[in-house]
Amino acid sequence: MADLSIDLAGIKSPNPFWLASAPPTNTGYQVQRAFEAGWGGAVWKTLGDPIINTSSRFAAVNFNGQRVAGFNNIELITDRPLDVNLKEIYETKKRFPNHAVVASLMVEPTQEKWHEIVKRVEDVGVDGLELNFGCPHGMAERGMGAASGQQPDLVEAQTYWVKEVATTPVIVKLTPNITDITVTARHAVKGGADAISLINTINSLAGVDIHSWNTIPHIGGKGAHGGYCGPAVKPIALNMVAECARHPEVTVPISGIGGISTWQDVVEFMLMGSTAIQVCTAAMHHGFRIVEEMIDGLNNYLDEKGLASVTELTGKSVSKYSNWGDLNLNYKVVARINEDNCINCNKCHIACEDTSHQCIDMLTNAEGKAILKVREEDCVGCNLCSIVCPAEGAIDMVEVDSGLPPMTWNERQRVVGSLSGSYSKAEVV
Amino acid sequence: MSAYDEFAKEKQEIDALLDQGYTVTGMLETLDGAKVKFGSGEPAKGSVELLLLTADARKYVTTLVFAGLQKAQ
Ligand SMILES: Cc1cc2nc3c(=O)[nH]c(=O)nc-3n(C[C@H](O)[C@H](O)[C@H](O)COP(=O)(O)O)c2cc1C
Ligand code: SF4
Ligand code: SF4
Repeated sequence: MADLSIDLAGIKSPNPFWLASAPPTNTGYQVQRAFEAGWGGAVWKTLGDPIINTSSRFAAVNFNGQRVAGFNNIELITDRPLDVNLKEIYETKKRFPNHAVVASLMVEPTQEKWHEIVKRVEDVGVDGLELNFGCPHGMAERGMGAASGQQPDLVEAQTYWVKEVATTPVIVKLTPNITDITVTARHAVKGGADAISLINTINSLAGVDIHSWNTIPHIGGKGAHGGYCGPAVKPIALNMVAECARHPEVTVPISGIGGISTWQDVVEFMLMGSTAIQVCTAAMHHGFRIVEEMIDGLNNYLDEKGLASVTELTGKSVSKYSNWGDLNLNYKVVARINEDNCINCNKCHIACEDTSHQCIDMLTNAEGKAILKVREEDCVGCNLCSIVCPAEGAIDMVEVDSGLPPMTWNERQRVVGSLSGSYSKAEVV
Repeated sequence: MSAYDEFAKEKQEIDALLDQGYTVTGMLETLDGAKVKFGSGEPAKGSVELLLLTADARKYVTTLVFAGLQKAQ
């Protein structure tokens, strides 16, 4: 069995599965039960001046029978006094000395406030700190969370203030509610961050009730924007992790967060540069024991791949994530329909005919059976037919030799640039 | 006409010029396609221009020049 233990900027844990700072990590009772279930670490529900929450506060987006495809919340940070949380952190750490207990922190953006909370939290023996610069609602209106996380200079200054007094590793948790997350990531690094974690939740409104015309959720007839998470946000989170991982100035390890619910998701986040990962929605949807399947799945996968340690996955796909301009324009795939598996639903024909390149013909074979055939020379290899096809194995996207050597858009533009310099008008034939 | 046939027609025109000893000497991309100028180096033959409309032909002609430059390096 492979070694699942990880070390994120000096924070060690028996496996890469951490609970994210959120309702699952609200109390010592919960975090200790999570550790018993198998979680390797927990980022405690964000500590700061205790707040008051609204009722209700969550909403989910269900899609085509899938419950909780996305999750929306307007919850704030902890509503419990710091002292109460610190006692429970101390007890939890005493019971689970080898698990990672990280304290998430959010205070007003002043040096004194950060110094005060860092010292008090470190006194009880946490393994690290996570600075919450991401909460998109409620706290932001008070100048905290995403409000300071959207300003690169404030991210840098606050990280710097924390690093002035911190003796444990400092993780900066980034907001996705920004145009280019690598900017704030770079400023976190400049401020001295030992690691970054991403993403926090994405600004959202879960829905509007078309009968009452109320927002979903609503608080006595009024709503406010919330934070979106769960499976729906995974592609957004994965891209942001990858963009940070491949940026030469983002030189610190990454804790990946956002829509992770299976061991396969974990592998993807690690391949794209995460050293460890964090989970919130999947634990809220399925309970702490979801980690058992994740651990088993990851273990089997590592064995199959012949890897001795989970750390060998980190970053292995980052170099494959490139810029559009560096992709080979002469690489070619085409769709090929496998009659044996096709159920003749015609969805591929409709998709290609209506919204792609009109190259799937409806024909009749020698036995008089209706068949579909791709005119491969006209197929642009867009993948749409294989995306809409409901039958497993009915459409393969196959690589074909274009007969041309590799050339990227950037290489082509250099050629066009030099040729347009020597262009002068001549007769058009 | 299928997209491939449109490309094949333009490719034929390009290949025919290349067979006659022409090379690509200039190119201007415009909203209406790529104007590609072919020269032969022989004053008698002069130069010829094609207006290429299809993406594949525009890609093909630049790939030829790109591959040629790479070989020369
Ligand atoms: C109800 C709820 C409360 C949350 N509270 C916090 C918080 O206090 N501090 C924090 O840093 N992130 C908080 N988050 C964000 C999560 O830690 C995490 O970044 C986000 O949910 C994405 O992960 P997921 O898709 O696995 O849920 C909260 C999320 C939810 C759903
Ligand atoms: S890959 Fe795209 S262009 Fe090719 S057959 Fe399918 S839908 Fe049509
Ligand atoms: S979508 Fe798939 S199953 Fe349906 S006709 Fe096309 S190939 Fe067959």
